[in-house]
Amino acid sequence: MLNNLVLENFDQSFLKSPSLIDERKKAFSNLKKIGMPNKKVENWKYTDLDNLTKSIEFKPGIINLELSNQESKGINVREFDYFIKNKAQYLNPIKILENEGVVYLNISYSNEAKVIEIKEIQSQPLIINIISEGPGFSLPRLKIDVFPEIEAEIHLIYLGGEGFINQLTEVNLQKNSKIKLFRVNKSSAVHSETFLTYLDSNTNISLVNLSMPENNSRFQVYNSFQGRNSFSNFKSVSIPKDNCHDDFLVHNLHKSSNCESNVGIRSILNKGAVCSFQALVDVELNTSSSKAEQDCKAILLHENATMNAKPEMKIFNDDVVCKHGTTIGTLDKEQIFYLQSRGLDKISAEKILLQGIIKNYISDESPLNSFLPKVYQ
Amino acid sequence: MNNFLKIQNLSVKVENKKIINDLNLDIKKGEVHAIMGPNGSGKSTLSNVLAGKSGYTIIEGSVDFCGEDLISLEPNERANKGIFLAFQYPVEIPGVTNINFIKTALDSNRKFRGLDPIKPGDFLKLVKEKSEILGIPEDRLKRQLNVGFSGGEKKRNEALQLMILNPLLAILDETDSGLDVDAFKIVADTINSTRSNDNSLLVITHYQRLLERIKPDIVHIFIDGSIVESGGPELAAEIENNGFERFANA
Ligand SMILES: Nc1ncnc2c1ncn2[C@@H]1O[C@H](COP(=O)(O)OP(=O)(O)O)[C@@H](O)[C@H]1O
Ligand SMILES: [Mg+2]
Repeated sequence: MLNNLVLENFDQSFLKSPSLIDERKKAFSNLKKIGMPNKKVENWKYTDLDNLTKSIEFKPGIINLELSNQESKGINVREFDYFIKNKAQYLNPIKILENEGVVYLNISYSNEAKVIEIKEIQSQPLIINIISEGPGFSLPRLKIDVFPEIEAEIHLIYLGGEGFINQLTEVNLQKNSKIKLFRVNKSSAVHSETFLTYLDSNTNISLVNLSMPENNSRFQVYNSFQGRNSFSNFKSVSIPKDNCHDDFLVHNLHKSSNCESNVGIRSILNKGAVCSFQALVDVELNTSSSKAEQDCKAILLHENATMNAKPEMKIFNDDVVCKHGTTIGTLDKEQIFYLQSRGLDKISAEKILLQGIIKNYISDESPLNSFLPKVYQ
Repeated sequence: MNNFLKIQNLSVKVENKKIINDLNLDIKKGEVHAIMGPNGSGKSTLSNVLAGKSGYTIIEGSVDFCGEDLISLEPNERANKGIFLAFQYPVEIPGVTNINFIKTALDSNRKFRGLDPIKPGDFLKLVKEKSEILGIPEDRLKRQLNVGFSGGEKKRNEALQLMILNPLLAILDETDSGLDVDAFKIVADTINSTRSNDNSLLVITHYQRLLERIKPDIVHIFIDGSIVESGGPELAAEIENNGFERFANA
């Protein structure tokens, strides 16, 4: 697909930012070299993005990152100009994640960006609606920078859309900061999001992700523990539409001591639906007292539903406590019988069990609850 | 009156193994029957078959409840018609709140009887009253159903559901095992207090001590999937003293 492409033909708009043109060209030539991700790349073994995007016209899609209460005190929102002035920041993802086609793609073409600096504790959640219109390639860039000692809550909401959305998101947690994220993915575009977090010492990030893609979706997370005593907790509920693929990859990179990472997924899969879950815990040699947990549970509601789970641990020292568990299967017959034996009909019993699986991650009080399909609320 | 629970010539197999063997049992309204039998004799299998669990093949025979063929009914239909099984090993159900589940169960039963869902206030009063009798603390009601409950806590929770659902026929599958001495007395006496002329109990147990608190009308000795002898409470005493040897060799 990439062979016939010329950078300048895609979009003239970035010529308005000539100061980045050399960096874009370099990223683009790297992209051409390694190509779009496909199943030959180990981290992409379940999604052939190259093939999925082949038929999508290579022209700019329209994408908007719409913020609620951006006027709030202590929130500073900047646009693409931020990166024009901070080239190193613009290129930072390439340094963190080498040889990743979707990152190169975003760096080459990205022209819609929001940089959100949170400098004071927020009492209200900040809601970001990611809205794409029309076919083509949409390449949004989002950076959230949480200042020292600050706590914030952000909701990221993706609904609808067309074509291909390739988002690059960074969350930077400065010392002693904390962020709670809620994400809803109900995108009908081919969707890929690369989510990079940088955790300085004593930071805490949690993300609850409700993923109900209506097309093929890829969500890849790289948590870099750069300072001590930090904590990350990533939980996803995956309910892809029939015949859609919801592909997750979460790498927890323990580069510092005393850090804890938890990652979990609950997937409910119907006809033709596929969920993939690749999780890696990488604990470096010169760290100590690391904790990590990986947990995967999938319910197959149809004979033609698939869960791929690949938990992995790369651990170079002994001072680590790791847990992991994977269960894939149909609903438990003993549980159904127990509920039925109390008077619930089979359909209600199954519904209650599925609700129970979801409620572990998305309680009635969660802001995500209202986005769940009615039957699971 | 005559037709309450009637099991006739029942034979059941599981995975090609015959577990229930030409069983006959007739329980009338208001009666308490006890079944005593060695481990593996098929007592839980019988309970499950009565409650409607799948995976069992009825080779022969019939089970009638209130004049109706039970075998053709779904487990929930049986429950709504008044059959309750207190499980030997209640399963854990994550994500489902104990008290919400009990209300859903009660409302299913009420719906079947053409009644509206119970008013939340009335329900809370009912649950509070019954759980106090059984010594179940309030926080356990808000926990996930049976998740992380000890063996004894699970059994008490079964007894709570029994009290609230108030069935016509309650089958207690070793409800006494796993309970310590004090809990045992509370649970046994509470269940005994539900006795009336309108409902019946089928008590499966290893121990005479339970039958001292829930006095059975008839005791059945259950070996290899069938009843080999029936009699009064004195049979239970004999088992307590001598075990099943005499019956096993019979
Ligand atoms: N699902 C099953 N598959 C195979 N064998 C079973 C199954 N359930 C019960 N059994 C066998 O049936 C026999 C009776 O079991 P059970 O009814 O649990 O006995 P009891 O409750 O009297 O101890 C045992 O030998 C047991 O191994
Ligand atoms: Mg048993």
